[in-house]
Amino acid sequence: MAEETTVQEPVGQPQNSRREALAFVVALAGWLVPGLGHALQKMWGRAMICFLTVGVLVWVGAGMRGNLFNSRGNDAFDSLGYIADLGTGGFYWVARSLETNGPDVSRADGDYGTRFLATAGVFNLLAALHAYEAARGRKA
Amino acid sequence: MTSSMSATSAALALIALIAVKLTHLQALVIFALVISVAFGFLGRRQPKERVKYILWTLLLFLLVGVGIGWAMYPFSH
Repeated sequence: MAEETTVQEPVGQPQNSRREALAFVVALAGWLVPGLGHALQKMWGRAMICFLTVGVLVWVGAGMRGNLFNSRGNDAFDSLGYIADLGTGGFYWVARSLETNGPDVSRADGDYGTRFLATAGVFNLLAALHAYEAARGRKA
Repeated sequence: MTSSMSATSAALALIALIAVKLTHLQALVIFALVISVAFGFLGRRQPKERVKYILWTLLLFLLVGVGIGWAMYPFSH
C-alpha cells in the first residue's frame, strides 16, 4: 500500500508577507523622520529618544560646522560620508539649511562636527533597523 | 520690506544660536551621554537595566576616549 503524501500549504504566508511589507514601511518612516518607526508601534519613549538623539547630534554637528557630504564626492570616503549623512533622513536637509556658512574643517571643531553628523546618520539607520525588527516581531 | 528685514534678523539670530563652541572634553561628554542614553533605550526594556546599561556605556565611552587621548599625547610633541 502506497503511503499517502500530502503537500502542506504554508500556514499564514499572506499574513507574513503583509507583516513584512508593514515592517518595511515602518523602517522607511523611521529613516525619513527619526523616531517615527517606533512611534508607529506606540513605543513612545524610544521614539522620543531617537528623535532627540538625532536632532541633538545634527544640531551640534552643524553648529560646529562639520562637513555635510554631498553626492559629488571625490573619493570612497566622501561617498561613505554621504551615505552616513543621508542616514539622518529628513534631518539631512535640516542640517544643510542650518549650515549657512558651510563646513569649516580647518579647526578641530569642524572635524568633530563631521563625526557628530555621521554618527547621527548611522544611529538613525540602526534605529530604523530596530523598528523594522520590532515590527516583524523579532525583538522589542 | 519691514517683514523681510525682521525675517532676516530672525534667521541671523537662529544662526547665532546654533553656533556651537565646545572644548574637546565637552564634545566628548555630550557625544558619550547622548549615544549612551540612546543605546540604553534601544537595547534594554526595563528601567533598571536601562540605567545600568547607560551608566556603564557612558563610563566606557569616557574612559576609552580619555585613554586614547593620552595614548596619542606622545605623538603630538
